[in-house]
Amino acid sequence: MDTQYIGEHLGPGQLGHFFVITSFVAALLSAFSYFRSAQTEVSDTGASNTWLQIGRNSFVLHTAMVVGIFATLFYIITNHLFEYHYAWKHSDRSLSPKYLLSCFWEGQEGSFLLWTFWHCVLGLVVMFTAKRMESRVMTVVSVVQVALATMVLGFYFGQDISIGSSPFILLRDKMQNAPIFAQANYLDFITDGNGLNVLLQNYWMVIHPPVLFLGFASTLIPFAYIIAALWKGEYKEFIKPTWIWSLFSGAVLGTGIMMGGAWAYESLTFGGYWAWDPVENASLVPWLTLIAALHTLIIYKVTGRSFIITIILFVVTYALIWYSTFLTRTGVLGDTSVHSFTGEGQSLYWHLIIVLGVLLIASILVMARRWKMLPRVQTEEQVNSREFWMFIGSFVLFLSAVQIIISTSIPVWAPLAKWITGKEIAPPVDPVAHYNSIQIWVAVVVAILSASILYLKFKKTDNKVFLKRMSITVAIGLLLTALIGFTQDITGVQYLLLLFAASFSVVANVYYAITVQKTKLKKLGAATSHLGFALSLLGILLSSYNKEVISLNTTGIVIPYGEDEMENVKESMENVILYKNVSMPMGKYDVTYIGDSVNENDPRTFYKVNYVLRDSATQEIKESFTLHPNAFVNPKGQEGGMSANPDSKHYLTKDIFTYVTSVINPEKKAKAKEYETQIIQIGDTIFVNRGFITFDGFKTDISNPNYDAQQGDIAVAADLTLRDLQGNITKLAPLYYIRDNYEYNLEDTITERKLYVKLSKIIPDQNAAEIMVKQAGDDNDYVVMKAIIFPYINVLWLGIIVMVIGFFISMVNRITKKEKVIKTA
Amino acid sequence: MKKSHIVLLVLVAAAVTIIVSMFGDFSTYETFASAAQDEGKQYHVIGELAKGKSMEYDPEKDPNYFSFYVADKSGSVSKVVFNGAKPTDIEKSEQIVMTGYMKGETFHCSKIQMKCPSKYENDQIAVANNQG
Repeated sequence: MDTQYIGEHLGPGQLGHFFVITSFVAALLSAFSYFRSAQTEVSDTGASNTWLQIGRNSFVLHTAMVVGIFATLFYIITNHLFEYHYAWKHSDRSLSPKYLLSCFWEGQEGSFLLWTFWHCVLGLVVMFTAKRMESRVMTVVSVVQVALATMVLGFYFGQDISIGSSPFILLRDKMQNAPIFAQANYLDFITDGNGLNVLLQNYWMVIHPPVLFLGFASTLIPFAYIIAALWKGEYKEFIKPTWIWSLFSGAVLGTGIMMGGAWAYESLTFGGYWAWDPVENASLVPWLTLIAALHTLIIYKVTGRSFIITIILFVVTYALIWYSTFLTRTGVLGDTSVHSFTGEGQSLYWHLIIVLGVLLIASILVMARRWKMLPRVQTEEQVNSREFWMFIGSFVLFLSAVQIIISTSIPVWAPLAKWITGKEIAPPVDPVAHYNSIQIWVAVVVAILSASILYLKFKKTDNKVFLKRMSITVAIGLLLTALIGFTQDITGVQYLLLLFAASFSVVANVYYAITVQKTKLKKLGAATSHLGFALSLLGILLSSYNKEVISLNTTGIVIPYGEDEMENVKESMENVILYKNVSMPMGKYDVTYIGDSVNENDPRTFYKVNYVLRDSATQEIKESFTLHPNAFVNPKGQEGGMSANPDSKHYLTKDIFTYVTSVINPEKKAKAKEYETQIIQIGDTIFVNRGFITFDGFKTDISNPNYDAQQGDIAVAADLTLRDLQGNITKLAPLYYIRDNYEYNLEDTITERKLYVKLSKIIPDQNAAEIMVKQAGDDNDYVVMKAIIFPYINVLWLGIIVMVIGFFISMVNRITKKEKVIKTA
Repeated sequence: MKKSHIVLLVLVAAAVTIIVSMFGDFSTYETFASAAQDEGKQYHVIGELAKGKSMEYDPEKDPNYFSFYVADKSGSVSKVVFNGAKPTDIEKSEQIVMTGYMKGETFHCSKIQMKCPSKYENDQIAVANNQG
């Protein structure tokens, strides 16, 4: 192709390519130099120092290049250079500036860049803090950076095979076959980009991905320390930094995951914060194994036990991070996830498998080399020691992770299962029930252990003191369980058990903080995060157990539409139609749709829904508020569709959650109403706005004041009954008469409904009539919506925040604590 | 044997039991015909919108009734009833995964998942149109 294209800005792309290649080479050099430095550490200190300097400088250069890539891509996006595929695919001119950063994490290249960037930042911190372990830890970090850099390299071998994909590829290179690129001035036709997925145009989506990726990235550091320890067979020095970094990672990854939950709750419409979606699971599972690893590490630090399981758990955690990327980015989950990531091609699939394989094999080799020399303790631990139960708790967390990952990975192993059994395995019909029914037991065990363990001492516990404290806290816990269980009407063994486990855990952690640790803040890390965990469980139980859909179709009318009537009763009826200005009872509220509004600077349509709470006796208005659920109507890429966002009224003790599931077709709204003719038999129904009419029969006793009876008339009225959605019944009697061999009819109307009904023909031999109905269309506007009450959801958010604070308290305590001489048994 | 090892063995045994029993939870992908063999049992069915067949969703009649026709992988077409609001971009879907059961001639589903053409392909068409 020798076309000279007009109007392209090739400079930024070339600069970007240069940064990409340099960052890759710098990472390679850094990895090699750090490796050499670690190797020559003992044999040749001089050389080791030189290599160390090269390693550091290359890593700094690598970091600078990554920042350069970021800046260049940001420049391309902000300047709307749609000749670049990335800008064209992930942004458009109308995008509000606050979402420009979100374009980075919509695409695969951008997310890998973000991940790389966090590694750079964390790597720099390690460089300054790791001291003697720097060369080894940074070798691992740099090697991973090399792997990540290959993800954005974009070396193409023919059409289909590539190593990574560059964010700086031109649109015309990406779509070489499109005929438009035969024209030199093709850019004149591409005036706008594809835009950002509307789901990402949400403030949670500005902060959730960076935090989650920081969490992902941070798991590298404990892993790197573990490999560094195994490398030289030094099993003490790594403990403190690994501990601190694991706490950091647990806090950040935990926050990131729950921000995802908050995003789902605030802007997705599945009606909750957690759906056991594969993408959610994929980030939860490494967090679970990380928490397990953190606890076994503590056991190792204090008692010298559990070393092997600790290193295995850390390696597994890191492998799971890559596996989770594999699950979410390659499209292997296919139809099982609601998240909108699509497959990004076979190249990425194999690329990630290779990285994962190399990481695992290298880790196993390093472990195998040291296997016989790894620290082990031959004596038996006491059953009343803290380490014994802490180990059990960690193992339960690990098993929980195993269960989740097996179920989540169904699409991965289904082909194998098909080969063996011949059946095409699908995910559970009700995934939420599937996971809940198993994980509730994990929650019970972990909640109880996490609280009681604090009363146990490492190595040996005074049983008397332990039992005394336990009996007090269990008693208070039971009391609390009874109180909550009774007021919240919770039944069912497993729910009551979970309620007890959570209540007991809350009580025991608070009691521990006050009586044992004397509320000394520095020592309260564990109690605080365990308290947060217990509160989260309590919040999950209360908000989901008593979650109530109030938008039930409670009109009392079972509308027959020729299908099995049982369906109406049996299946969910959670959507309610709200006509403009007609109020509907929902739960304790009267809900009215009062119209929609659009704002010039916002692509969304807002639907105003008014909630009124009246005193049941006096009918006085106690409370009135308006929610604004909104939707992107006709968003790019799904014209004719809509993407709804909920709105919630937040109370301290509950949330009222509302979203629009369907709106009136604008064509229908605009259509001028005319008479519509229908032929119906006695007993049939005609549907009209906000109600339906039944045809009860004919009558001949006419009492229409507009009808002036004359001799020889044949007059018949249709006996019609209108039932509206409020349950009101109105009678209608349109009149048909024959006078002097001519047909006449007199319409009947309900003025306030603007409903006009005519009887235009009677067909006596069929017991049928021709009925004409006209309804005015101008106030015909409606929305279909769902409303859900989540009680006590704030307990969950509070719990998460408390848990994260607990992590940071522990972290600060670890960092500032003067290290005692480490005793190992 | 250490006590912790015994507890571990018990835990592992429990976990294996749970994991094995959990396989009973897993569903399978079926066609309308094979799902009809066990009426009322929930399955996953993959298919695509049957061309030239009508879709019915009129919230004024019933906001929780949406019916449409789907051709499953074997090509046989069945009416599908979904008790909920009509998914907004179902017309654009390339593939539909439904969770539900057969009753008579109708498939009643409680969950619809759609695979829509990626934005990328959509806009390829738009680009081509721009030239004309």
